[in-house]
Amino acid sequence: MRQGGKKLALHLFVLLGALVILIPFYMILVNSFKGVRESALFGMGLPSEWLFSNYEKVFEQGNILRGFKNSFLLAGLTVFCVNLFASMAAFVIQRRDDRLMRGLYLTFIIGLIVPVSIVPTIRLMDILGVKGTYFSMVMYYTAVLLPFSVFLLVGFMKQIPRELDEAAQIEGAGFFRLYARIILPLLITVLVTVSIVVIVSVWNDFFGPFYLVTDSTKWTIVLQIFNFVSLYNTNWGVVFAFMVIVVLPVMLVYLLLQRYIIDGLTAGSVKG
Amino acid sequence: MERRKYPLYFSYPAVAVFLIFFIAPTLFGVYYSFTDWNINADSVKFIGFDNYAALFQEPRLGKALSNTLIFAAAVTVLQNVIGFVLALVMNESIRMRNFFRMVFFMPYVIAPIVIGYVFRAIYHPEHGIVNTILEGVGLGFMAQDWLNDPKWALFSIILTDLWKVSGFTMVIYLAGLQFIPKDLLESAAIDGANYWHRLKNIILPLVASSTTVNILLSLIGSMKVFEMVMVLTDGGPGYTTEVFYTYIRSTFSMGQMGYSTAINLVLFALVTLVGLPVLAALKKREVEM
Repeated sequence: MRQGGKKLALHLFVLLGALVILIPFYMILVNSFKGVRESALFGMGLPSEWLFSNYEKVFEQGNILRGFKNSFLLAGLTVFCVNLFASMAAFVIQRRDDRLMRGLYLTFIIGLIVPVSIVPTIRLMDILGVKGTYFSMVMYYTAVLLPFSVFLLVGFMKQIPRELDEAAQIEGAGFFRLYARIILPLLITVLVTVSIVVIVSVWNDFFGPFYLVTDSTKWTIVLQIFNFVSLYNTNWGVVFAFMVIVVLPVMLVYLLLQRYIIDGLTAGSVKG
Repeated sequence: MERRKYPLYFSYPAVAVFLIFFIAPTLFGVYYSFTDWNINADSVKFIGFDNYAALFQEPRLGKALSNTLIFAAAVTVLQNVIGFVLALVMNESIRMRNFFRMVFFMPYVIAPIVIGYVFRAIYHPEHGIVNTILEGVGLGFMAQDWLNDPKWALFSIILTDLWKVSGFTMVIYLAGLQFIPKDLLESAAIDGANYWHRLKNIILPLVASSTTVNILLSLIGSMKVFEMVMVLTDGGPGYTTEVFYTYIRSTFSMGQMGYSTAINLVLFALVTLVGLPVLAALKKREVEM
């Protein structure tokens, strides 16, 4: 009897917590189908009339497809750079484990802690002649996301036995073969985690493009919603529809790959 | 295989990108913070400590400093308490545990700017769900203008941030809890250790590495808060919710680049001063345990 009561209480607690998380999501979705007046009441009831025109309005006004393209492009290129550079670095950092490499690892950890100096970064991009280009954005994101990725990957490298390296060398494999054929495939779970962290960070980021991108044709989707709300925030229904459109792609990535995120994050950060 | 044989050049691409696009601007920043660099002026002049002298006379810096610290302390403590309690509960035999775990982590993947917009609706004084619920259960006198009342604005931002990050903390604690052998807890219970004893002497020490990661990530993350504050209050009303990054944004949009860089450097110093000792202390404690 007492056990049963305790179990019920725990389930109620979890259920209540889940409701607190889900209600805002429900609110975005349900209000995105309401008209101007009804959506401004932020009610939780179903729309008196289901309007899909909010979505049409978003697509008409915002150059949405261009924003999508920019966000996808930046996220994709950054995923490639971060995975490649961080895994190569983590490989030698963990395997050499000498003073130099420990220093490098510590530098990355400090980079995880300290904030970006954003205004001087604008100046730097200017000096390098790449200000406002996709290249500058990809390099900015790669630099910002490298520390966390190196941290996760080094933690995971420890679990790959050194005997594998020796076996590979006896068979005559060079370091590139060893890295590409043996190490990389074993890191795949963490690489998926790194990719998701990168996609989510780049997709959701406002800070970087706000400072570094001036040309509106290179705006990401998040910059577009900010601009859109600043100009048209009188119609909440349309704003809610825009939110659904911004959230949907990352939500899909998350729902499909959530096992990897959670497993990879915990394996890399807790054991390492 | 001999350790020295692993080729250093594997680290070069990462080192190059990090050096050029992270470390270099940071060092540049130190120089620019001593100049009058302004978007409206043609030349950049070295002006010594003038920016810092002006900055430390502004009450606004004090507000940004105290708000950032209050925000970081409150979020770090509460996020860890909520995350840990959730993890303890979820570690029991909860039905559909994976579903709930997925739900709790969900806000972490949403753009902070979007979260800000939704919570603007949630905190709305007339139609917002918070006040509607309070009135519905007869607590109408507790209804507030959450974001425009100086007494409540920072508190409301803190709650919003907790909504976003607690699930992440829970997941990290949950991983730590799963490494604790079940029979260790059972034999302690048989020996007469009550729940609090088991929590204090077995569970907490054994999740220490989760605690390290969680406290450090929440501390440094919350000191760098920006988008959520910008969207919810933009530092207002007055400067009552001003944090470093909203302050930097407003001096930046006035074109005061040198001055903005000086503010950024104060934040840099603050995060380093708080972050590094916490990291060292937590690491030391983890080893001792």
